[in-house]
Amino acid sequence: MIYRRAGISFTRYQDERQLWKLPTDRWAVIVIFALLLVAPFLVDRLFVVGYLLPLIIWSMAAMGLNLLMGGAGQIHLGYGAVIGIGAYASVHAMRAGLPFELAMIVGGLASAVIGVVFGAAALRVKGLYLAMATLAMQYIVDFVIVQVPAISGGTQAALSVPRTSFLGIAIQGDRAPYYVALALCAVLTLFMLNVRRTSFGRALAAVREKDYAASIIGVDPFRYKLLAFWVSSFIGGMTGAVLAVCYYRTISPDQFHLDLSIQLVAMVIVGGLGSVLGGFLGVGLILFAPIVLNQLIGLAADQFGVAIPTDLRAHLPLMLYGGLIMGFLLLEPLGLAKIYSNIRNYLLVWPFRHARQ
Amino acid sequence: MSLTRRNILTGAAVAALASQLPVRVALAQGGDKVVRIAMPMDFTKVYTFVTAEYNQGQRDYITMMNQRGGMGGYTIAIDISDHANDQPRAIEAYERAKSQGAVLVDPLSTPVARALTPRALEDKINMVTAFSGRSDAADGTVFPYVFPLSPNYWTQAGLLIEYFKQQDGGSLDGKTICFVHIDTPFGKEPLPVLEALAAKEGFKLQAFPYTPPGNDQSAIWPQVRRARPDWTMFWGAGVGQTVALTEAARNGLDMGRVCSSVWLSESDMDVVGRDQTVGVLKFEPCVSGREPQVIQEILTEVVGAGKGAGPEDKVGTAYYNYGVMLAALMLEGVRRAAEIAPDGPVNGEWLNAGLHSITEFTAEGLIPPTTITPEDHQGGGMGRVARWNGEAFEPMTDWFSANQDVVWEEVRKYSSEFAKSGQ
Repeated sequence: MIYRRAGISFTRYQDERQLWKLPTDRWAVIVIFALLLVAPFLVDRLFVVGYLLPLIIWSMAAMGLNLLMGGAGQIHLGYGAVIGIGAYASVHAMRAGLPFELAMIVGGLASAVIGVVFGAAALRVKGLYLAMATLAMQYIVDFVIVQVPAISGGTQAALSVPRTSFLGIAIQGDRAPYYVALALCAVLTLFMLNVRRTSFGRALAAVREKDYAASIIGVDPFRYKLLAFWVSSFIGGMTGAVLAVCYYRTISPDQFHLDLSIQLVAMVIVGGLGSVLGGFLGVGLILFAPIVLNQLIGLAADQFGVAIPTDLRAHLPLMLYGGLIMGFLLLEPLGLAKIYSNIRNYLLVWPFRHARQ
Repeated sequence: MSLTRRNILTGAAVAALASQLPVRVALAQGGDKVVRIAMPMDFTKVYTFVTAEYNQGQRDYITMMNQRGGMGGYTIAIDISDHANDQPRAIEAYERAKSQGAVLVDPLSTPVARALTPRALEDKINMVTAFSGRSDAADGTVFPYVFPLSPNYWTQAGLLIEYFKQQDGGSLDGKTICFVHIDTPFGKEPLPVLEALAAKEGFKLQAFPYTPPGNDQSAIWPQVRRARPDWTMFWGAGVGQTVALTEAARNGLDMGRVCSSVWLSESDMDVVGRDQTVGVLKFEPCVSGREPQVIQEILTEVVGAGKGAGPEDKVGTAYYNYGVMLAALMLEGVRRAAEIAPDGPVNGEWLNAGLHSITEFTAEGLIPPTTITPEDHQGGGMGRVARWNGEAFEPMTDWFSANQDVVWEEVRKYSSEFAKSGQ
């Protein structure tokens, strides 16, 4: 009815090979992208700089981590450090006079090289042990950044990002950073959607399911595990550069602590492992639920005269936030993407209950 | 209504337009005689009770001044929110404050203040970074919109060293001073000033970093004891402070020779034990206790009238008084701004002019005479040393300032570095 299709059946190969197979999905993507494009002119600037911009940048990070966790099945508890390496490397490169476009790649390469060194642990250990190895990476990187004044920027430990431009557009004001991040995010999203349709993506999936089974069918786990860490860390490093230039404008070590890593893992898991859409949904929930809940509680306290003490008023949103995450995961352990997919499957054949697949 | 594609699209468009309503409504509220101050602070993560007490003091003072008719005819409207020391949340809060027309932001968090600095400078919104943020923001020529309004950590360290020198008969030559600090940028901050002073005064400086957040410092303090320090400074915040004090007491250090920065309060003493810590010293930026006239006035006019912002027993504690101190300085800035330009328009530049003309302000004896100039945003860097006597902090010295030459050398070194980076 809504999708004008009862079940999915194709008569031509090119239909089946499209990125979004149903016209309705294609339209939805076009409409959402068009709305994102005109958003700075449509909604208040607060929503652009305070919500959409972080949503876009964190989604890039979540997609990078999702390639590793959902795509290749390798857990990473130090992704915040990977982003930090990219941010510091690119900002130092820009301060040395490199343009942003190149500095971003420098950041990506720095993250990829260091990420692969620690990712090499994945060749020997799995699961919880790999979690510990990547956690060690987080602490080592934190330590190095804080202890080396040449990296952190002296006693103030705040490194300001020089004014820069991207493909001739000066990154300043409210709109330019948003469009730069949006463009890069769009490119990354297309890459992530396509990567699992490539031999690389399928090899990662094979490694994810069972590494020695993958090696029996001719997929080299050594190579693909390292490649997964390389690609994912490269994306993380690029995201770090975007984060520093478009959003933070001053970087300090505490921006890339374990909190960020845990936050990203939560985003990927709540959103849905291996799902690109899930990354966006997870970021939306984890990043903004505390802010929105905080404002709702504040509004309730102010408007309806609900007298709650300050400390409870500050902690109540956190309690609700925790409950929300538990609720979503109880409702659907496969994440928000699966909830979306359930709704979509229902609407696909509505008003009927089942259809031929 | 049938569920067609057109309806869904129309709905989405309406929802997108409706989403910006709350901000517009907030903007429309309030007359033109309102000065908006935003206080996004960390109530839940790291600073917790420090923020609660500090913010309580601020709100009580602002309530009192509003009751008296505001500052120069302007009412003060404050917006408090929790940023949990999380930078995306803090940036969102800052941008919301900016959209709502706030002219001053007080984030009370070092990482947040450091991250917001370029935005505040660009947007010309005054940012108060009391006991937090960049120490080099004391240099108003480079940071015209960032106001520490309080002695920075370099000043505090310099002043404490001067106190040690006075106590030891005018010379620290050959003495050992241990500096126990949390191993973060904040904890390491005083090191360059201490090193410069060690070279100048001839004392031996030994630094002992502990890993954040400082719940376990048992490995550090026996080493401190073995170093046989003449003086010990411990530099941290929150839980690290009480753990440090407990360990200092356990290792038998002479409490009269152990000293902290501003971050020590009655609440910390309750945790460690009021009697175990008698003699410990701290840097005091303002009078503590309920004796100051302004605290007495708050007690009768606000707390007595049932309008207090928090528990009454916190009134007059160290951090509560810091809050009153900073609120008084901010509102003095508003009063001065209203004097300079009575009809506004109220914006960041308007308040900036007011803050820059604060002269010899003492908040009825609560704080040392403070003068803010376009060059000096620290306000002179005066403070005093106070001693815990088991019940309260009693002053050991008068207001004084020391080693400002070394401090300003450091301030200019970093502020010129910041200026060079092209912000």
